[in-house]
Amino acid sequence: MSSRVIGFLIAAAAASAQTPSLKIDLPKDSPIVVLSVDPAGSRATPRGGAYLIDLHASLSLRNSSQKHIRGVALAVQSQEVTLLGTKATVSVPSMNVAPGDAFSMHIDQTLTRTLRGGDGTPSVEVQLDGVLFDDLSFYGPDKLHSQRTLTVWELEARRDRSYFKNLLTPASAEALRSEMLRQVDLPQTRVQVRGRATNADPDREVQFALLNLPDSPVDLTGGTARVSGDEASAPRFDVRSLSKRPVRHMEIGWIVKDQDGHEFLAASLPADLSLAPGQVSQVVQDSALRFPGTSIQSMKAFVSAVEFGDGNYWILSRKALEDPQLRSIVGPSPEEQRLSQIYRKKGLNALVDELKKF
Amino acid sequence: MSRHAREIDLALYAAGDMSLWNRISVGLHTANCEQCKARVQAYRTDRERLKQDASELPAGLNWERLAAEMTANIRVGLAAGECVAPRGRKRVVAGWWPVAAVAGTVMMLSAAWWLNLPASDTQSISHAMRGLVHSRTVVADEQPVIEASSGGIKLSENGSELQVSQGGGARPKAISVSTEGSASARYIDSDTDQITITSVMNVQ
Repeated sequence: MSSRVIGFLIAAAAASAQTPSLKIDLPKDSPIVVLSVDPAGSRATPRGGAYLIDLHASLSLRNSSQKHIRGVALAVQSQEVTLLGTKATVSVPSMNVAPGDAFSMHIDQTLTRTLRGGDGTPSVEVQLDGVLFDDLSFYGPDKLHSQRTLTVWELEARRDRSYFKNLLTPASAEALRSEMLRQVDLPQTRVQVRGRATNADPDREVQFALLNLPDSPVDLTGGTARVSGDEASAPRFDVRSLSKRPVRHMEIGWIVKDQDGHEFLAASLPADLSLAPGQVSQVVQDSALRFPGTSIQSMKAFVSAVEFGDGNYWILSRKALEDPQLRSIVGPSPEEQRLSQIYRKKGLNALVDELKKF
Repeated sequence: MSRHAREIDLALYAAGDMSLWNRISVGLHTANCEQCKARVQAYRTDRERLKQDASELPAGLNWERLAAEMTANIRVGLAAGECVAPRGRKRVVAGWWPVAAVAGTVMMLSAAWWLNLPASDTQSISHAMRGLVHSRTVVADEQPVIEASSGGIKLSENGSELQVSQGGGARPKAISVSTEGSASARYIDSDTDQITITSVMNVQ
C-alpha cells in the first residue's frame, strides 16, 4: 500500500507541464496594436488534484492613435480556469505614451482550479477593456468599468503632479524631499469580501463616525453596519447632495479600527445612484467584509470620489488628504508612488525631469 | 398429483398465488374435475366475501374502546420490552499488530491526501474545523470570496482559486477592496518604474 501512495506522490510531482496558449484579441480600430507577445515562463501543470496555470507574459504594444495615452486596461480570461462570473484585469495608469511610441505591459497571474476529466492545453485570452487619453477621452468596451477607474487615477495623478510642481522652487526643495521620503508602505490588512455575512454569531449594529470633508459635493448624514467579531456586513448610509450638479456615482471610504487601536482603510463602497441637487438618498449593500484575526472596535466613513451626471469627477484634494484623520490612512495615489520610486532610485534631479514631462 | 388436487393447491390456485407450472397443472385438472372445480369456486366466493367484510366495520363496534385497547396493548408490549435486560456484547480481543497496521495505513493515506489537496480545499477544511472548535455556525463558502492581503489577491469559489500575483514574488505596494466584490493590488516595476494594477472582480 505504501509503495502505491509514494508512487502517486512522485507521479503528481513529476506531472508534465504544458505551455498555455495566449490569444490577444484587440478590436480592428483599436488605438493600440500588438508588436510582440512573449509568453516565456508561462506553464500549466497538474498539481495534486488541481490544475495550476502560471501566466507570465510580456506584451509589446504601440500607440497607433494621435493622442497621448494615459492608461490602458486589459481583461484576462482563461476558459479552463474561469470562475463563474469572474474577471481579472491588468491596468497600467500614469502612462505618458506619445503617438507612435511603443510600450510594454506585463501579465503575471497564477490560476488554480480542481482537475476535471478531458482537460486539454489551457488557453488564455486577453482583451482590451479600455484606453484613456490625455484629454480624458476614452476608447474601449468598458465592460469592467475601466473608464471610471482610469479617469480617477489620472485625475489623482494630475493633482499630485501639480502639488509637487509647486514645491519645485529652490526654497521648497527640502519640502519636496520630505514629501517623497514620507512615502512609506502602509500596513496591509488581510481583507475578504463576499456577498453576504457567514458568521452566525450574534451581531450588533454599529454607527459609523462620519468624516465630512469641507469641499465634498456629497455629505454623509448617517451610517450603520452589522458587526460580529471580525466581520462587518450590510453597510447602510444616508447621503445628501450639496452640489448643484446631479450625481450618478459615488464612492465611500470605509475605515476600521482594530483591537490594538490601529486604523486602516478597509474598503471602498461604490454606489450608482441618481442624486439631484440637494436631494437625500440611501446607499445600501448586502456585502460583508471579514478581517481574519481582527476584532472590529469602531468604524469611520468619508466620501472619497463622486462622478457627476455630466461625466466630470470630484476627488479628494491634497488639502483633504492632509486631514489628520486621513493622512495616515489613505494611501498615496499610483502616480505619487511612481514619483516617489523615481526619487528614491535616481534622486531629485530625475524627479524634477519627470515632472517637467507633463 | 393424486386423483383430486390437494386442498392447499386448490386454495392457492383460487388466490392466483402459484408458480406458472403448478398453475397450469392444477388448471388442467380442474377443467376436467367438477369436484375440484367446485372447491376452487368455493374458495373464490369466500375470498370475495372476506374482502367485503374487511372493508366494512362490524355493526355495533365501539371504535373508541377498540382504539384504547390497542393503545394499551402497545404500551404493555413496550413496558415488557423495557424489562428485558440488554444483552452483553461479545468482546473481541485483538492483538496490537493489526491495530498498528490500520493506524499506519490511515495516517499515510491522510498525509498523501492532505499533501495533494488544493490549497483552497485545505483552507476550507481548516476554516470549517476552526468554526467547529469555536462552536460557531459557519455558512458554507459556496459564494465567491475575494481576498486581498500582502501576498496579492485571490478569489475562491467552489474549490477553484484564482490568484493574481506579480512575477518574481514581488509584494504589492498597495491593496484595495471594493464592497461590490473586487480587489486590486498595485505593483511597481523595479526596472521601468511602471505601475501595474491587477484586479479580480466578481461581475455576477
